[in-house]
Amino acid sequence: MATRARVMQMETPSTTGGNALLVLVALGVAFLLITALLGAAKSNEPLYNESNLLYVVLIFYAGAGALYMGFGVTGVAKYVKFASVATAVGFAANTLAVGHRWYLAGRPPFASIYEMLLSFVWTLAALTLVTEKKFGVKIIGSITMPLAVVCVILMQLLPSEVRPLVPALQSTWLHVHVTLAMLSYAACAVSFALAMMFLIKDHVTTETFLAWTSALVSAIYVSIVATRFEKWGGLSVTAWDAKEKSDIFLGKGMRLFVTVPDLGWLFVMAATAALLPLVLWAVARWRKNDSYYDVANKVVFVGILLQTVVLAAFLMRVRDASYASPFQEGLYPTSLAASPFILGGLVAGIFASLLYLMLLWRRADLEALLPSANTLDRVTYKTICIAFPLLTGMIAAGAYWANRTWGSYWSWDPKETWAAITWLIYAGYLHMRVTRGWRGRRAAYFAILGFGVVIFTFLGVTYLLPGLHAYA
Amino acid sequence: MAVDIASIPRRLYKTLSNLRTGIVLLILAGVSAALGTFILQRPITDLQQLQAAYSPETLRVLDRLGLTDVFHSWWFLTLLTLVSLSIVFVSVDRFPNSWRFYARPYRRTDSHFRNANPTKIELPIRNAEDGLNAAERAVKKLGWPVERITEGTDISLYSERYRFSVMAVYVIHASLLLIFLGGIVDGIVGYSGFMALQKGQTANVIEMKGERTKTLPFGVKCFGAGQENYADGSPKKWWSKLAVVQDGKEVRSKEIVVNDPLVYHGLRFYQASFGRTGAIESLKVAAVPESGIPQEITLAMNQPFQLDSNNEVTLAEFIPDFFIRDNQVFKRSDDPVNPAFRLMVKNLATGAETVQWLFPAYDPASQGQKANYRFQYQAMQMGYFTGLQVSFEPGQWLVWAGCILMGVGLFVAFYMVHMRLWVTAIPDNNGKLVLWVGGQANKNKDRFEQKFDEVVESIRAELGRALITPRSAHKSDEKPELTLVATK
Repeated sequence: MATRARVMQMETPSTTGGNALLVLVALGVAFLLITALLGAAKSNEPLYNESNLLYVVLIFYAGAGALYMGFGVTGVAKYVKFASVATAVGFAANTLAVGHRWYLAGRPPFASIYEMLLSFVWTLAALTLVTEKKFGVKIIGSITMPLAVVCVILMQLLPSEVRPLVPALQSTWLHVHVTLAMLSYAACAVSFALAMMFLIKDHVTTETFLAWTSALVSAIYVSIVATRFEKWGGLSVTAWDAKEKSDIFLGKGMRLFVTVPDLGWLFVMAATAALLPLVLWAVARWRKNDSYYDVANKVVFVGILLQTVVLAAFLMRVRDASYASPFQEGLYPTSLAASPFILGGLVAGIFASLLYLMLLWRRADLEALLPSANTLDRVTYKTICIAFPLLTGMIAAGAYWANRTWGSYWSWDPKETWAAITWLIYAGYLHMRVTRGWRGRRAAYFAILGFGVVIFTFLGVTYLLPGLHAYA
Repeated sequence: MAVDIASIPRRLYKTLSNLRTGIVLLILAGVSAALGTFILQRPITDLQQLQAAYSPETLRVLDRLGLTDVFHSWWFLTLLTLVSLSIVFVSVDRFPNSWRFYARPYRRTDSHFRNANPTKIELPIRNAEDGLNAAERAVKKLGWPVERITEGTDISLYSERYRFSVMAVYVIHASLLLIFLGGIVDGIVGYSGFMALQKGQTANVIEMKGERTKTLPFGVKCFGAGQENYADGSPKKWWSKLAVVQDGKEVRSKEIVVNDPLVYHGLRFYQASFGRTGAIESLKVAAVPESGIPQEITLAMNQPFQLDSNNEVTLAEFIPDFFIRDNQVFKRSDDPVNPAFRLMVKNLATGAETVQWLFPAYDPASQGQKANYRFQYQAMQMGYFTGLQVSFEPGQWLVWAGCILMGVGLFVAFYMVHMRLWVTAIPDNNGKLVLWVGGQANKNKDRFEQKFDEVVESIRAELGRALITPRSAHKSDEKPELTLVATK
């Protein structure tokens, strides 16, 4: 599905005029829906269930993302209209999915990282539609929709069964806390997208974007290679127990890793290709020779192809196979579900590179479509003015709930600490803006940094740092 | 370099009241807090895990730097103190200006002010008094209060909304300090600890960090505790029935669950853990006599039960998980997966005792020496303990008050815009009489422009004419219908 969405976007640059993209996306959506319908008809499961709904959500968000990006590339106003419709349809399906789960569980869907992502994507789509309609930032979907698609792909892989609430979560404060968190995180995501657009509109050079894209993508690949590369070119992934639907554990908190032979080299190649543009960028700046940039851009293009190969290879080799483990005798099965974050990282890397290509090829058209830099700057500020009080309320509600559950309102748990750090960053943004009159770029960089920390707090802390916040 | 001692406090104040210092301190605090989440922290990590993660030398260095317990280290606390001081000083430094602005709003409409104000418009009028009256009616109609300002012979209108919002930032900073204060109060007088209780037990000692204990002036009695599970076996609820016992009287009782503590005199008792003691609470067996009707009995540890006029039985030993070696019964674990019970049957007439063993995992029937009674295993109830987190945090009320205050402050600061309007009648550049309307807002300028247009529209309607006057209207070619000599 991810590949499909990507393929659609890859073709957008060549379809400059008319309805080609529209037809392509519509055909893609129709094709995917029909195949899914046929598949569902063959099985005896009811048609209206959550995974089918999510599939619809994914298809429409991906279609919307493709059209938004198509709008960005070609400026055909029709695209954005259809993109809005696709977002709205996806949003409707998303609402049904949320409602379905709410009904099944008898409580709002806030209890696991899967359910939180479900709510987050819903809020993100809602805010996208609002920003587009109310503030006229039509192109915002080209950043938020890919983000939504990555989240929905992640959700397909995370354990999704409805689990009853453990005692600590049986509290009204859970709902208050998580609702505020989702709202503020989605507002932060929108402010991030707006800040990116501001930078485009503010004539930040395409080369700077090149450097940042390369830095982001290579950060993804280098961290995967650094932690997962095994001797003789293997890649270690978590083993998966299909019956228990969970990772296989050796001991408390110790996952069993298996090595997929040869896959590691492919990741090293992709990491090199991702890092190379950054190096070339540095060389170009140092030598003051612009021809290196052209080479770097070509490398980005090759990098996307490599990333696609990596993704395809990863999907094929890890999806459903068994491999040996260096830690324990025997073959252990593995599954995509055991490596949601590697997969999320791979897809995010491809999206980031594609967004860069879109900028590289169509910058002038893109700028013509955006509202003025001033407007973008102001709307970014406004979004943060919404996000910040929500963030404050989220922390306060969390503290109150912790006090009722653990007998302490603040215990410096990593999640708490990182929420406080996020809060500090946005507080810093507001202070700089109000008292120092920070406008424009510096403020935009701040907004981007803030969202980076939000992502880390939301996903990074859960999976990388141990703590009390074990649920999500 | 000579340092003037007397100037140190002033310099300190100057440094700390500088916003840049504040930002640097905040960044330092943020970075240290982040470090505290990346480096394993002693209070929340097992010693084993810590030793597995770091070599002894690294651990020693980290310990020395306070990096294994960042959030309780002196330098982190100092940093937080400096941040608070900086908030105080920055606020103190800026307060007088804000207060002047708040207490003595600028109501006049002198020409200097009129020229400097960016948002303004001029509406042609016939007569100053009528114009001002119309403007007053229009602004009042929108729900804004209007003041008439008289300066000598000049009359102007002044109107404003939400002036207090300029002070909201101080409320927010004060609320932050209130929250810190709550934390400090709890750091000094607050305490927390743990208490484990079994059914029927009363205790008044809590175990605190570092092997310390604290004795409470009252006891807590447990009337029972339990766990309920969902159908899939995951826990649904833990509960404990507790009572506070003071001077032999039960003064308060409550069934606590996770999320709902018992509160007594500021002390809170939370359901924190629940587990097996490894001891047995009761054993249910059928006592089968050699001849006659079997009877169902419930035995507690070491409490004799009279079976008939001649015999009594005692549960003398319980092993939750046994194994046998050299014909002896040993314990393997505290898990009641493979229990063994030793029952003593005593003949009251002769005093003779016979031993019966029950190994219900293998055979429900008892085995042992020939006795008057045999036993059939039916059920057992394991002893449970409930773990209570006890905490005394009087500072939390300051924290909650601070949170509410901050919510209010943020709402006012972000969503209540201080808007001001000035209206006066002046001759314009061409000497024609116009109604000058100017406005200002402290934030959300585009929203304000809409509001300003609304006000102007309303004044226009009230003036009874629909003139299209461009903003910052210097080039108004419209001729007022009546040219009067300006009143001023």
